[in-house]
Amino acid sequence: MKSYNQWSLLLLGFFALALVSCTETEIDEEKPTITVNYSGGFPQTCENLSRGQSYTIKAKVADNLELASYSIEMHHNFDHHTHDDQEDPCELEPITTAVNPFNFSTNNNVPEGLTNFEIEAVVTIPTTIDTGDYHLALSVTDVTGWQARTSVDVKIVE
Amino acid sequence: MQTLRKIPGVSTITIGSGQSKPVIRGLGFNRVSVVQNGIKHEAQQWGNDHGLEIDQYAVEDVQIIKGPASLLYGSDAIGGVIDIRPPQTPAKNTFSGDINLTGETNNELIGVSSSIVARNENWYYRARVTYRDYADYKVPTDRVLYDNYVFELADNRIRNTAGNETNFGLTFGFIGERFKAETSLSNMNGNNGFFANAHGLEVRSSSIDYDASFRDVDLPFHEVNHFKWIQNFQFFRPNSTLQIDFGFQNNERTEQSEPVPHGFMPKPTSSSERVFSKNTYTLNLHNSLENRGVHELSFGFNGEIQNNRIGGWGFLIPSFKRFTAGIFAFDHIRLSEYLHLQGGLRYDIGRVTTDSYVDWFQTPVENSLGILEFQNLQRASDEDLSFGSYSGSVGMSYLKDRTALKFNLGKSFRIPLANELASDGVNYHMYRFERGQLDLEAEESYQFDFEWNQSGEILNFGFSPFVNYFTNFIYLNPTADYYETLQVYAYQQAEVLRYGGEVSFGLTINRSLSLDSSVEYVYAEQLEGPKKGFTLPFNPPLSSLFSLSKSFETGELFRNIRLITDYRITAAQNRIVPPEEKTPGYQLFNLSFLSELNLSNNAEPINLRFKINNLFNTKYFDHTSFYRLIDVPEPARNFSLSITYNF
Repeated sequence: MKSYNQWSLLLLGFFALALVSCTETEIDEEKPTITVNYSGGFPQTCENLSRGQSYTIKAKVADNLELASYSIEMHHNFDHHTHDDQEDPCELEPITTAVNPFNFSTNNNVPEGLTNFEIEAVVTIPTTIDTGDYHLALSVTDVTGWQARTSVDVKIVE
Repeated sequence: MQTLRKIPGVSTITIGSGQSKPVIRGLGFNRVSVVQNGIKHEAQQWGNDHGLEIDQYAVEDVQIIKGPASLLYGSDAIGGVIDIRPPQTPAKNTFSGDINLTGETNNELIGVSSSIVARNENWYYRARVTYRDYADYKVPTDRVLYDNYVFELADNRIRNTAGNETNFGLTFGFIGERFKAETSLSNMNGNNGFFANAHGLEVRSSSIDYDASFRDVDLPFHEVNHFKWIQNFQFFRPNSTLQIDFGFQNNERTEQSEPVPHGFMPKPTSSSERVFSKNTYTLNLHNSLENRGVHELSFGFNGEIQNNRIGGWGFLIPSFKRFTAGIFAFDHIRLSEYLHLQGGLRYDIGRVTTDSYVDWFQTPVENSLGILEFQNLQRASDEDLSFGSYSGSVGMSYLKDRTALKFNLGKSFRIPLANELASDGVNYHMYRFERGQLDLEAEESYQFDFEWNQSGEILNFGFSPFVNYFTNFIYLNPTADYYETLQVYAYQQAEVLRYGGEVSFGLTINRSLSLDSSVEYVYAEQLEGPKKGFTLPFNPPLSSLFSLSKSFETGELFRNIRLITDYRITAAQNRIVPPEEKTPGYQLFNLSFLSELNLSNNAEPINLRFKINNLFNTKYFDHTSFYRLIDVPEPARNFSLSITYNF
């Protein structure tokens, strides 16, 4: 049985090596968060946006370490290709074909060193674009490269 | 490929129930070479949603190399090799065949495969036909929660994951005393649906009534066709064997999805999102010389030419051509009856030329005067990139009685892929913007392997640790930046340290009862770069498998009965890298019943295999599954029956 002892020694050495590695450098494993679901958050689900008007999109973002960038995108949802993740579902209008749909996208850096931030972005709805169901997608990254996303269904009206 | 999972250190990346590809000690995709009849399988193996296009019924003999093997297999064999050997040449003047029927309950799979093999004096042939068709697979849950969305599942099915597969294979050959030639032709065709609620990582709703049928394949899906022609020649001389292998492969893969506008891209007019068309030509020469039973010297050449074309409205990688060529020499020295020494050197050159690509739609860009202009953006440029790399290996083996000891130190390499070099576009399937880097260097890896196997009548023991160091592992890094509101993922290189290994232990309790157990573990850490301290994507968790096998006294009707219980315990994977999620541990039971059904003493018996996978219908997640990223659990309980009749 002598050789079995040698094996167990080797095994012990192997697992010791594995254990040593557990004392590793601190890494950031937390995603940032993003929400529009607070008083002052805009738009709320199913919000009506009028053509020719300007609105300020507001969302709260937070991270344990440091926020990095955010993006806002608005595209038509006339074909119902996607839907939002808010608690109350928004009734969508019948499927239509886009003629001159509104497209809005922007991305920006969060000022350096922040763990809490309120996104504020002005969007002006042109008077000539198609009315109907639109989809607003918001996302945020932290300095590590983790991303959080949320989305809101909105309507553009006359 | 899923059957390989029982081998310690080998796992698979699965995409639903119909597709998978091998992972060796945590490395997969283009870091594992799959070789069939001496020719490296070349498809779109870099893709997240790609599965291996090989008829699994045609695979009889597989050799697995765990660890870098560039010395003999060239670029890409940096993580290991799945070497599918040709089936044995049939005996003279014989005719035989088999027919196999398979049925599974979870995805209502029906499979049929049949082959015939014949040989006269010198000529032989082998033919096989396989057809498989399956419905959407079931999971032990009726809802999937992903990224704040709720997907209700009808009948516990992962919507639109049905598929089918049709394969043909024909081999004919001549075998003489000093010469053997074999021609293998095969074609694999598959259609696989992708989960309908999230196209890749993007949440989608659709007007398609997916739940109308669980068997049909709606958008999004992919169709893949792989044609392969392999020509092998062997010349036998006293103390010398020359092997020449030639291969031609054509891989056509189309990803179809419902066209939707995105950013400045208007709604495309067709559903052809991405089309990949690839032709690969391979030539291998291998000569081995035996010298007085002391040296066995091998040397050879591998050359490969790839021509990759793209189509469809979604751009991810440009069209490209790739040429690789390498020469190697390898010596196996018998120092004594028990002690052998092996070593070899290799040099490879590689050249990748990419074609430019310009968007088919216009994007507003601010010009130098601050005025918005509409432009067709250029995504890829004409590039001509060259690579060169040495690889080598030295090893020692000691084989005596029941002890086998092996040491090996090797260096391997991998030429960067076109997507790593020249991606510059939205990966709609992963819902991210991917950016390549033209100045990537060939990946280089050093590995030390040790293997100890002790076999006995009662006890078997195996221990195979490894330490692996990459000087410049190519990694798709999620950055903090956005491009047109999509997160930018950029290819980067970083030093990576990996180690781990396998321990196995077998106990033969008595003539009819035996227990096999194994543990596997891989640790990976990026030592530098933006993800310093993080692991690598899809790193498998600590896992162990216990397998109890009991054989029974044979009766008249059922012979060679064997009952096997597999018990897998997998630890949680808490070491993750963005955008992964931590995966909890799980325990899983599988049951197999094998027997021969002896209907008549004049005929060959019928082989039966009855299996229950996930016996207790456990809801668990596999860290290395593609659908893990969208929180889809692994399949629910599955009963499968396979009947094989040999004639």
